[in-house]
Amino acid sequence: MIVAHGIGVVRDLPIPAAYFFIGAAVVLAVSFVLLFYLWRRPVLEAHADGRKLPSGLSRLVLSRAVRIVLGAFSVFLLGLTLAAALFGTTVELLNFAPTFVYVIFWLGIPLLSILFGNVWSVLSPWRALADAAVWALEHGGREARPVLEWTGRLGRYPAAAALFAFVALELAHPRPAYPRTLGIAIALYTYWALAGMAVYGRDPWTRYGEGFAVAFGFLARIAPFAVRDGAIVARWPFTGLGGADRIRGTLLFVAVLLGSTSFDGFSRSSTWQDLIADLRAELAGSSQRTIDLATTFLSLGGLAFFVAAILATYLAAVAAAEKLGRVERSLVPDFVLPLVPIAAAYLAAHYFTLFLIQGQFIITLISDPFGKGWDLFGTVDFAPNLAIVSPETVWYVQVAALVVGHVAGLAIAHDRAVAVFQGRRTALEAQLPMLGLMVLYTLGGMWLLTRG
Amino acid sequence: MSAVLATLRRVRNDRRFAVLVAMLALAASGFVFSSCGGDDGDSAAPATETTTTSEPTATETTTTTETPPPPPPGPTEIRIVVVDGAPKGGIVREKVEKGDRVVLIVRSDVTDHVHLHGYDVMRDVAPGKPARLPFRATIPGRFEVELEDRGVPIADITVNA
Repeated sequence: MIVAHGIGVVRDLPIPAAYFFIGAAVVLAVSFVLLFYLWRRPVLEAHADGRKLPSGLSRLVLSRAVRIVLGAFSVFLLGLTLAAALFGTTVELLNFAPTFVYVIFWLGIPLLSILFGNVWSVLSPWRALADAAVWALEHGGREARPVLEWTGRLGRYPAAAALFAFVALELAHPRPAYPRTLGIAIALYTYWALAGMAVYGRDPWTRYGEGFAVAFGFLARIAPFAVRDGAIVARWPFTGLGGADRIRGTLLFVAVLLGSTSFDGFSRSSTWQDLIADLRAELAGSSQRTIDLATTFLSLGGLAFFVAAILATYLAAVAAAEKLGRVERSLVPDFVLPLVPIAAAYLAAHYFTLFLIQGQFIITLISDPFGKGWDLFGTVDFAPNLAIVSPETVWYVQVAALVVGHVAGLAIAHDRAVAVFQGRRTALEAQLPMLGLMVLYTLGGMWLLTRG
Repeated sequence: MSAVLATLRRVRNDRRFAVLVAMLALAASGFVFSSCGGDDGDSAAPATETTTTSEPTATETTTTTETPPPPPPGPTEIRIVVVDGAPKGGIVREKVEKGDRVVLIVRSDVTDHVHLHGYDVMRDVAPGKPARLPFRATIPGRFEVELEDRGVPIADITVNA
C-alpha cells in the first residue's frame, strides 16, 4: 500500500490551478482588509463563556446516566476493535478495526469536536475505564489516589509524544492498516492511557498525556458549545481560542498535528512516491524486511521534516514579531492557539473524501467485523458509493476549509496582538510576521492539494 | 517596511480606499477564474508522462463536459511491464476520462496478484501469463495498481471527471 494515510482506496484529484489562484487571491485580499478593520481591544476571551443553555438540557446531557451509557458503549467499541484487530481476518479492508480507527475515530471525533465541543470527555473509553476503576475502588472502601503528583513540568510533551507515535504508525509504517499491527498499537495505547491515569490521576493525564484527548480538546475550542461551571453554554465559534496558552509543549503538539497532515498530503504526490519507488529499486534483491525498514525510516524523516518546518517557521515569525513589537519576553505561548483553526482546516481539506468514501465501509463492516462471513445486521451487501461527491465539490470544500481556517487563525492572532503590543502602530507592524506565517501555511496547504 | 506601513495606515484612514482594494482583489480573482476556469483538469500539476505505451483512443478529448463523447471503438490499453518485482521505468502514470473503458495489461517476470484499488479488480499474474484487468472508469479520482503480495505499487491511474 502506497496510500499514505492509514487506509483508503480513492485519492482526490489534484485541485486545478484556477481553484488555487482564487483561493490565494481571497486569502490575500481578506487578510489585508481584515487587518485594518478588526477590533482594537481583545474580545475573544470575553465571549468564550457564551450564554447558558436551558438548565434542563445541561442536566440531561451532562448527567451521570448519559456518561455511563456512552462510556459503556465506547468501551464496548474499544473491545470490539481490539478483538477484530487481533483475531479477525488479516485482509485490511474486510476487518472492522482499520476503517474504524483511521476513519471513524480519527476523522469522525475531530468533526464532532469542532461541531459540538469536547465530546471526547464523555466518549473516551479509557476515561470511562478509569472512572469505573475509581468507582469500584471507592465502592470497596478503598481510596483511589494517584501514585505521583502531576507537577506540570512535563507540560504537554507526553501528549505530543503520543500523537507523534500515532501519526508515525499512520504515515510511516509500511502497513499501518494491517490488523495485527493495529491490534498491538491499540493495546499499547490503552496501556499508555490507563497507566498514565493511574500514576498521575485522571484529569492531569487527560489534559497533558493522552494525545487524542489533547488533540480533540484543542479542536473543541473551535466549537460553538462548551461546558462552563457545570452548564452547557452556546457561544460564537472560535471564541474558545482567545488568550495565550502557557503550557509547555503546546507548540510541539500543534506542530505535530499540522506537520503530519501536511506530510500526508505531500506523501501522496508523485514526487514522494517516485522517491520511495527509487529506494525500492535501489534495494531490489534485499529482503522485504530491509526494504520495509528503509522506507519506514525515509517516511519518518519526511514526517519529522514537516513537523520541524512548522516549528521553525513559527519560531521565526514569533521572533520577528517580538522584535517589531519591542517585547522582551517570549511570545511563543501567545500565538500558538491561532494555529488550531489552521490545523482543523488541514484535517478537513485532506480527509474530507476519505471520511465520506471510506466511512461508508463501516456500514458493511459492522455486520461482519471479523471478516468471517457473518451478516449480523443484514448490511453486508451494502454497496458504498465511491463517487458520492464530485471532484468539483471536493475542491470547493478544500479551498473553503483552508480559507475559513486562515481567516479564523488571523482573527485570533489579531485578538492576541492587540492585547500584547503597546500602541496601534506597533501592534500593526508586529502583526505582519504572523500574517505572513498564516498566509504561508494556508497557501502551502493549498499548494499541497495541487500536487498530482 | 516603513513605506509599506505608511501606505497601510493611509488605507486604514480611508475606508473607501480599503473597499476599493477589496473590490480589486475580488475582480482579480474573478479574472483568474474566468481565464482558467474552463480547463480544470489540464491546468493541474504537469503530468509526468512515462514511456509506457497507451493506445490512444480514437476520440480527441477536446469535447466539453456537457456532451459526452461518442463511445470509443475499443478500450484504452495501459501496459505495465514488471521486472524484478518493480515497474519498468518507474511507477506508470496514466490519465483516462470518466466513462472510458480501460484495460490494464500487466506482464511480469514474478508471480503475484495485480490489484486495482477502488474498482477492486484483482487478477493473477505470472511469467509468460500477463494479467488483463478490464474496467469502466466510472469513479473519478486517483487509483493505485499494486502487486498485492509484495505490496509494491506499479501504476497510478487518474480518472478525470
